[in-house]
Amino acid sequence: MDMRLHTSFRAAAPLAIAVAAAACTGIIGDGVEDGSAGPPGSDDDTLEGFSPLRRLTALQYERTVRDLIGVSVEGAAVLAGDERVGPFKSNVVAPVTELNVEQYMAVAETIAQAALADLGSLVTCDPDDIGELQCGDRFIDDFGTRALRRPLDADTREEFRQVFAQGRETSFEDGIRLVIQAALQSPYFLYHVEVTPSGDEAEGSEPVALTPHALAARLSYFLWRTMPDRALFEAAERGELSTSAQIRVQVERMLEDPRAGFAVEQFIRAWLHIDDMRELAKDPDLFPEVDDALLESMAQDAARVGDYVVREGEGTLDALFTTPYSFAQGPLAAFYGIEPSDGEVPVILDRDERAGLLTQPAFLAKAGHSDQSSPIHRGVVVREDFLCQPLPDPPPTVDDTPPEVDPDATTRERFAQLTSGPGCAGCHRLIDGVGFGFEAYDAVGAYREREGDLPVDDRGNVVGAEDATGEFEGAIELSAQLAASQITRRCVVNQWFRFALGRIESEADERDLASVYATFGDHADLRELIVAIAQSRPFITRYPGR
Amino acid sequence: MTTNHQSSRHARTRLSLRRRRFLGALGATAAALPLIPVPDSVAQEAGGHRRIIYLFSPNGTIYDEWNPSGGETDFTFREILSPLEGLEPYVTVIDGLRHPAGGPGSRHAQGPHKFMAGSRLLDGDQGGGGNTSSGYGSHQTADQRIADVVGQETPFSSLELGVQNGGANVRSRMAYRASNQPIVPEDNPYALFDRLFKDLDQDETSLERLRAERLSVIDAVSGQLRRVADRSGTADRVKLEAHLEVVRSIERRLENGFGANCVAPTVGDTIDHQADDNYQVVSELMLDQLVMAMACDLTRVSTLMWSRATSNQIFPFLGFTDKHHELSHEPDSNGAAQNKLVQINRFFAGQLRYLMDRLAEVPEGDGTMLDNTLIVWGNELGKGNSHTHRPVPIVLAGGAAGHFAMGRNLDIEETDMNRLLVSTLQFMGLDDDTFGNLDQGSGGLAALA
Repeated sequence: MDMRLHTSFRAAAPLAIAVAAAACTGIIGDGVEDGSAGPPGSDDDTLEGFSPLRRLTALQYERTVRDLIGVSVEGAAVLAGDERVGPFKSNVVAPVTELNVEQYMAVAETIAQAALADLGSLVTCDPDDIGELQCGDRFIDDFGTRALRRPLDADTREEFRQVFAQGRETSFEDGIRLVIQAALQSPYFLYHVEVTPSGDEAEGSEPVALTPHALAARLSYFLWRTMPDRALFEAAERGELSTSAQIRVQVERMLEDPRAGFAVEQFIRAWLHIDDMRELAKDPDLFPEVDDALLESMAQDAARVGDYVVREGEGTLDALFTTPYSFAQGPLAAFYGIEPSDGEVPVILDRDERAGLLTQPAFLAKAGHSDQSSPIHRGVVVREDFLCQPLPDPPPTVDDTPPEVDPDATTRERFAQLTSGPGCAGCHRLIDGVGFGFEAYDAVGAYREREGDLPVDDRGNVVGAEDATGEFEGAIELSAQLAASQITRRCVVNQWFRFALGRIESEADERDLASVYATFGDHADLRELIVAIAQSRPFITRYPGR
Repeated sequence: MTTNHQSSRHARTRLSLRRRRFLGALGATAAALPLIPVPDSVAQEAGGHRRIIYLFSPNGTIYDEWNPSGGETDFTFREILSPLEGLEPYVTVIDGLRHPAGGPGSRHAQGPHKFMAGSRLLDGDQGGGGNTSSGYGSHQTADQRIADVVGQETPFSSLELGVQNGGANVRSRMAYRASNQPIVPEDNPYALFDRLFKDLDQDETSLERLRAERLSVIDAVSGQLRRVADRSGTADRVKLEAHLEVVRSIERRLENGFGANCVAPTVGDTIDHQADDNYQVVSELMLDQLVMAMACDLTRVSTLMWSRATSNQIFPFLGFTDKHHELSHEPDSNGAAQNKLVQINRFFAGQLRYLMDRLAEVPEGDGTMLDNTLIVWGNELGKGNSHTHRPVPIVLAGGAAGHFAMGRNLDIEETDMNRLLVSTLQFMGLDDDTFGNLDQGSGGLAALA
């Protein structure tokens, strides 16, 4: 089974790494201890697709419980941390361990108990009227179907009836409570179970269509990061998710919903690596005005602007990368030195200082040291997450401490000296030429034309990046260069694909992705990209596991 | 103290609640009291059970201040291990063990798995790209090999703990059930308390009801897991069966009613367990509960991971706020950085001392629980700035039930970690001769014999 998982994950590598890593590792040479052959018995040659079983992330858990039961629980506080697929959270590799399962048990007990406070919203029948057993049955069918995101099979229904009977030894309410408790620990709730009733053994190796309910759940967890609503359940039941046109209708409906705003914001935050600003610390002597609240408001503004462009504004990659919108108020407005926005209509920042996503202070601050900018971090994020060219770790012997701040040299000069050595230059020519382009932004993302007494030099050069290759001056030009390039557009497709499917693209997806690349390559319309991914074969089918 | 033990041994369940309230009211003073009860099962055992605890701290050490001065049996700790002064007969320092070479991943990422399994990482896409990325570990770890054998006798076959351990990836996992099955450590001391001791607060009737309800839910969930697993392809089935196995082990624990004759420790008022300032307090809360869990015979096998490989933890309570990993990259010539790294490593040695002191408070047979315990403290690297795996700093602590001659300062020829891992398995009664998929030899570590 290791082989299988690991095969599917490695499958991404030939697609993605191609240019950068080849050029880069060739120079590093023996930076690691030995080769990277798989464990005994692995079969790296087989690169069939595979749709691994995914477990809800803490955030998906939290949002699903809220929509299913109306109870608030902070997922991240009560559940162990999530794995990531690319920059996005998705639990695809490690199985659960005792701690996970005990957490699920404990939190399910707490939630079920809390649900009793407003039982009327969950139990629509009156046990005094139709009898406790019958009302229990009705609850099991209605709640169970929503909780498990599919119609109940006979075995499952019977299991919930047993649980109900156990609880009812105390009272009717306790019967209900116990059914909730059981549903929240069911594999159908905790995982995105997509295997069909006939099972994978019966299905061979070709991709098979998802059941309508599995597709409904894929749509809702892609676009909303939570369970399907009534309309989506009904569309599944009526077989109205079977054509591309029907999927488009649902996607367009769902994108109008505020839940989609949340999902797009999550996408932006993960993509820019700004989903957790708490771990960031800035030098309080240099930046007394920059506190946790300001850093978090930077991230929120970046996410909100991203959502605005995608769902309400132009909807194009070009706008996302080149239009400096902001909803800044309070300390963030002061940080920008602008009049606060009204919080509803975005203001446009100075176009000589800001462009789009890559000039967001949240990104620049996150990819920055506590006392100085970090051309390397910024360059690496662009290379890995905007060009989809993963870079290897620095060789094991390298000293990657940032250089001391020195008033007689610019950051650029100090870093350039550090990374020009023979073991470093191979990769750093891919990183620094991009990263130096952000030198007009300091450690906290504030715009600057001078660094101390020295003028900022933010000329840069993208090498080894197909049609994004070329010299540029400053992050604003870089952003335009990237937005117009096919390599970045393909990368954007890949990132949305990972976000949508919770897995890395594999060779088996290549043919289907090629047509999405082609369409998005022409217009770079993000709303159409979301529709296209939802309509694509990898999204509406699954590869049976082996 | 003794009187408390005696009385609690008789009407334990009833007393535990009252006792906790009482101790809670005492506040901070209470935490310092040795509160360890002696459960009957352990008391009856002539010498007490053997226990093993593996500890991990990150980013390498500073050898000049880590190595003791003096000879093999006549040695003096230098700065880093100075908190262990006075316990020399319970400490063996081993200079010369190395992580076996091989497999993908950066050395930081490889370290925890090589320390605990002497094995390679799987291929995967964690941690960059190219040939330094990797997946999780490819082999069961030593603690879990032991748990498979001795863990069946206790409610928890093993306990995995962490302190500010971070997200789910290869660098924050030191224990593996099997290849590609990392075990999530608990790093919230209050959640740990609930997991180990909360049910002790309930009266017998509610406890019975809780048990019956949980078993009923487990029945339902198990049926569903089984059916989904049966329909799934191999890779998914492995995941679902792992889930099922865990559910069954919880079920067994509920059915056997383990742990009922155990007294809950006190954890005091809730503090932010992720705050840098609280790192030491949280670490000690975890260690307190670990000792209690072992005293109650809830488990005999444990791991504890301080932060994670490549950790950038800051330790403001040591008087500076530099990030650990960044500090560890400073060259040997940077005296200020070296000094801070010495202090960080000394802090972890102090935590080891804390653990030893707590173990020594639990009477067992003619001695204490410390006499029956082996602690193995390792690291993912030797030196942080050169990322070396040869050697890596290893400290053994505890009486090891007389299995090894402790109290030694060993400077051995370079030897793979696998030998030490085999020694730890043998200490716990297994007769394994090799361990790990990078094992090039056989037998335990000769120098310990």
